[in-house]
Amino acid sequence: MSFQEKNITVSLVNFSLILVFYLIRLLQMIQNGSFNSTNVFRLWAIIIVAAIVVTIAATILTHLVSAIIQAIQTQAEPVIEDIADERDKFIDLKGTKVTYLVSSLGSFLAMLTFAFGQPPLVMFTLLILFGVVAQIVGDIARLYFYRRGF
Amino acid sequence: MSKRRINNNIRTLRFFNSEMTQQQLAEKVGVTRQTIIAMEQDKYSPSLELAFRIALAFNVPLDEVFSYKLEDETP
Repeated sequence: MSFQEKNITVSLVNFSLILVFYLIRLLQMIQNGSFNSTNVFRLWAIIIVAAIVVTIAATILTHLVSAIIQAIQTQAEPVIEDIADERDKFIDLKGTKVTYLVSSLGSFLAMLTFAFGQPPLVMFTLLILFGVVAQIVGDIARLYFYRRGF
Repeated sequence: MSKRRINNNIRTLRFFNSEMTQQQLAEKVGVTRQTIIAMEQDKYSPSLELAFRIALAFNVPLDEVFSYKLEDETP
């Protein structure tokens, strides 16, 4: 597995965990009757901060763990293969395209709920939900392209 | 899945170039080993620039490394 694939796998796991956390918190809010704008926007902030911080931390951790494993296996100075060549860039571009597609579809659906009379809070809840789902689908697409070759 | 029409002799050329490893070729042309593997398995067609770099690495003309076949062409 290449460094890029490892990075995507870590990102996939991160965003899946963030999605699970988001859904659990959302369900708790609905059950407790605390589904209001203050709590929803706080959750928005938590999700965005977690996505940024966890992604940075996970990337650094992937670098470190890869280097340690490589050093143990080869008994030599680890060489991190973190260059992104043309194939990596193509795959990243295709994955981003998938992410944008899902994100756009999600945004459209979210706005549709508002257009059909649902409160704006539902629209904002769905917007962040589809944002995270789009990232997960994009990562799965990237991994699929790596497995397929391109 | 559609069949790729660009074929290559990278594996053969590596063998005849002192059994050059995939890693050595990857370092020579500035890509990852995974890209060399994908090309050898005909899963990835390189850009024109990379194709020229590979030909240069083996010191042979481009058409000795890559060949192009039309899909309806009989072998």
